Amino acid sequence: MATFVIRRLVASFFVFLAATYLMYILTALSGDPLEDLRASTAPNAAQLIERRIDLLNLDVPPYLRYFIWLGGVGGCFIGQCNLGFNVQGQPVLEILGQALGQTLQLVTFAAIVAVVIGVIIGITTALRQYSTYDYSVTFVTFLFFSLPIFWVAVLLKQYIAIGFNDFLRQPTIPPLAIVVIALALGLIAAGIAGGDLKRRLIAGGTAAVVTGAALAYMSATEWFLTPSLGIVVVALTAIGLAFAVTAISAGLRNRRALYASLTVAVLAIVLYYPLQFLFVSMTLPLFLGLAIGTILLSGAIGYFWGGHDRWQSARTAAIVGFLTAGVIALDEFMSYWNAYSNSSRVRGRPIATIGAETPNLGGNFWVQGVDSFTHLLLPTIALILISIASYTRYTRSSMLEVLNQDYIRTARAKGLTERTVLVRHAFRNAMIPVATIIAFDIGAIVGGAVITERVFAWTGMGALFQNGLERTDPNPVMAFFLVTGTLAIIFNLIADLVYAALDPRIRIS
Amino acid sequence: MRIGKLAAATAVLGATALVLSGCSAPEADSGLDEGSSVNVAWNQAFYAYNGNTSFGNATANQNIISLTNSAFGYYNNTPEWVKDESFGTYELVSEDPQVVEYTLADTATWSDGQPVDTADLLLNWASQSNAFNDPNFDPSAFQDPESGEITEDFPEGQVYFDGGGTGLDLVTQTPEVSDDGKSITLTYDSPFVDWELVFGSAGQILPAHVVASYALGIEDPEEGKAAVEDAILNNDTEALAAISNAWNTIFNFNEMPEDPALVLSTGPYVITDLVADQYVTLSANENYEGDKQPSIDEITIRFIADPLAAVTALENGEVDIISPQATTDVVEGLEGIDGIEIITGLEGTYEHVDLQFQNSRNPGVFEDIRVRQAFLKTIPRQEIVDTLIKPIIGEDAIVRNSQIFVPGAEGYDESVENNGSSEYAEVDIEGAKALLAEAGVTNPEVCILYANNNPRRVNEFALIQASANQAGFNVTDCGSAEWGGLLGTPGAYDASLFGWQSTGLGVTEARANYVPGGLNNLNYYDNPEVTAALDELNGTFEADRQIELQQEVDRLLWEDAYGVTIFQFPAVTGVSERIENVDPSIIAPTIFWNAWEWELAE
Repeated sequence: MATFVIRRLVASFFVFLAATYLMYILTALSGDPLEDLRASTAPNAAQLIERRIDLLNLDVPPYLRYFIWLGGVGGCFIGQCNLGFNVQGQPVLEILGQALGQTLQLVTFAAIVAVVIGVIIGITTALRQYSTYDYSVTFVTFLFFSLPIFWVAVLLKQYIAIGFNDFLRQPTIPPLAIVVIALALGLIAAGIAGGDLKRRLIAGGTAAVVTGAALAYMSATEWFLTPSLGIVVVALTAIGLAFAVTAISAGLRNRRALYASLTVAVLAIVLYYPLQFLFVSMTLPLFLGLAIGTILLSGAIGYFWGGHDRWQSARTAAIVGFLTAGVIALDEFMSYWNAYSNSSRVRGRPIATIGAETPNLGGNFWVQGVDSFTHLLLPTIALILISIASYTRYTRSSMLEVLNQDYIRTARAKGLTERTVLVRHAFRNAMIPVATIIAFDIGAIVGGAVITERVFAWTGMGALFQNGLERTDPNPVMAFFLVTGTLAIIFNLIADLVYAALDPRIRIS
Repeated sequence: MRIGKLAAATAVLGATALVLSGCSAPEADSGLDEGSSVNVAWNQAFYAYNGNTSFGNATANQNIISLTNSAFGYYNNTPEWVKDESFGTYELVSEDPQVVEYTLADTATWSDGQPVDTADLLLNWASQSNAFNDPNFDPSAFQDPESGEITEDFPEGQVYFDGGGTGLDLVTQTPEVSDDGKSITLTYDSPFVDWELVFGSAGQILPAHVVASYALGIEDPEEGKAAVEDAILNNDTEALAAISNAWNTIFNFNEMPEDPALVLSTGPYVITDLVADQYVTLSANENYEGDKQPSIDEITIRFIADPLAAVTALENGEVDIISPQATTDVVEGLEGIDGIEIITGLEGTYEHVDLQFQNSRNPGVFEDIRVRQAFLKTIPRQEIVDTLIKPIIGEDAIVRNSQIFVPGAEGYDESVENNGSSEYAEVDIEGAKALLAEAGVTNPEVCILYANNNPRRVNEFALIQASANQAGFNVTDCGSAEWGGLLGTPGAYDASLFGWQSTGLGVTEARANYVPGGLNNLNYYDNPEVTAALDELNGTFEADRQIELQQEVDRLLWEDAYGVTIFQFPAVTGVSERIENVDPSIIAPTIFWNAWEWELAE
């Protein structure tokens, strides 16, 4: 194991070293870093050119200048990092820190959501293989996968931001639109439900009616201006979550787990009003503390309800608690929507197309949260749309492969419930290859949002890379390359190790 | 537990919840800011508040500084020089030796209430004149790569101001300071006709008392100013070393500094918030007593690199004013938006073709003036403008007809009438053929250097090539992505196609392009008459005579078939209807030049 890791690291190190040399030379030879000054008629242009040559060692040819850069990077090992300066004279290390922060903010949430949705879609399409649902989902995910992201971004800006903001001026949905949306959702639900015609009709019909009614209500009450869930919806959602999560996680036959979930749900409903008093003075640490506290408390409730498998109940209850708390928090965020949207800084157009925040907005924890949401919404959707396809396909094929294994047939033959077979025997094994793909992607995603960042005016790693290329500025490009390259190497290694850890058939030696 | 008990428990809890719902939830203060802002998009982030250093010298910084720091004058959008007498007045006391006296107005104050006085002007002189710098000293060896600051092993007592080159370097004699601390007198070593720009558009005046508090640890502003003044007047190297170090570094920030003294202002606005790479907020300066009284309380400049992202942000109301790089895509995008005004115009950079007088790739190709004239006659200037620039800014697209004057500036129209540029107004293939025949040259090869990674220049090259080949030239492609480095390289090309960027209207700026050995004389042009006229211009203070001399130079250049100017770069500004009085200038700070005059429409 240790030999394997060391051998891999040493090999990667030399490959990476060669790659950095190539990258440096290619960037440095791609243009002229003094171009802007050469075309200047300013009286001090000569002086500025001389200073830039001094600062960036432009008098040294790139073939050798690389080693000056490499020497600076070598300093990182003794705590004296020197990634050089960019054309503007800013130290690259400092701007790298800022850029990395912005990019992580942008991609983290998108990555998590893409994985969750991708896996769910993958599993459901595998279970309904060759159904209309399977074909439609495959078509749609591939459609988005093949769209260029800058174009997706423009569409999103036009419809979700500008279109929705215009809609908010007169937030009533035309009846025809309600019918169309309801029918569409009904069809999707019918597709997922599968089974015989009756089952599909019931599922589709219910979904269509509920959606239609909800939309009609929202339209009539101008819900989009003052959105809220209220105690009734929170309560219904909590109970619904208790049943749904138990059904998947432990099975409804496990009464102890169900009671535990319901206890958590009811507790959440009871605490709904008292919590409002706590919410007034919310801060980020308190918010995170409450989230962790909720998980621990719900877990404890599940544990003490017991049953033949205490930990199963605990897990189920913890998930229910976490999700229900999320719904209550969502309700609270919504209650600030109207104030946010009508504030003098936002002026009734809440969904943003650029940047990470509304300048000088002020506002408490909840308002800040809403602001982050309105700014992250579009780039997150864009990133999810293009990355979801691969997760869906990998999960689907992996799940199908597992379902055709002999041991699944054996499990069914033993008379295990379908839930146990799917969740415990199939799903876990199907996730092994997906886990390694996720590990790869985490490495790639930090460097993969170059275009998304630019169109949504986020100044992260992508901007660092792109501005560097535009101005023939090797140092920021190399900083980008160092970070993404190192992450790629590390996560590839982690992917291999994870595979070995999850699948006992694989041995690393 | 049986299900019945659970149901009962649920019922009890549900009832409790319903009872509790009778109590109203507490109303929290949303904490939202009540103010509102005019939002402007700019394509590059602000990163330094001292625009005099080679580090901070960038448009993104200068735009902001033009609104926060007053000077003895500024450029309007004509463009012409406007004196700001609410900051101070100046007077040319004598021409030979050139002596200029500056007097600060009582209304010139820093936003912390301190008056602007001679210590600030002296510091500006000290930093811009290089009078105290050791010319053999290389500072980059002592810069800390992490922070960009000077490291501890920086030799003590080393004075190094990272400024200069703006004209004050001609004043090596220490200025005289009046007793009341309001006047300063500069004596130039040699005449400098752009003296008006000194302490004006060239060089931003920074607070001496803040520099003193960082450099010398003197907290009291009066004492600090006195200490800076003493150090400069007495050439106190130790103190000057500390002062120069502070001056170079303390104003370099791209996030809001903790110390508000670092963002002191003498102008209509003061920086109140700065978030790295996202936005900078300027608020009206309450202590500002000058003439440029702002109408809008708050301006936020948001940084949006992508032009089309700026257009959608304008459409979505996130920004109110955008001025992205002008392309047809941007104009089409803007035309589809309701409730905005589109202002088209020109920008400071102009496109031109220069011919190599010596050291050309094909030896001697342009030695004969008839060959030069023939080649220039084939350049389809109007066609280039019509096909590449008109689609962007429509009727504002014009052929630039002067090598010296910026269109719109005083003297341009008159010069165009007389400078002989009309010879090259139309493509004249027959005329070119005749000239070539007269010169006895057949099929001369002309290799043109241009940026072949710039689509617009690739198109221009194609148009020129097609046209010139008709007259019997053999135009070949010397295009390169590294054209900037190749400029002036002997034997590399015969003609060059690129843009010069005018930063101001200083009459001395042209000199570097046309005198032998000048920094920007990349085509080895040498005409004693031009040099003589430029020499005279360098010693001429009278404005009318300056224009006469400039027109003379312009005429000589066209007569010599130096090259042709083609067009001024297009500029497009989109302004929300809720803002009035936005009227961009052709030169920096373009849209920002009159920000204090912007108004909210009612």
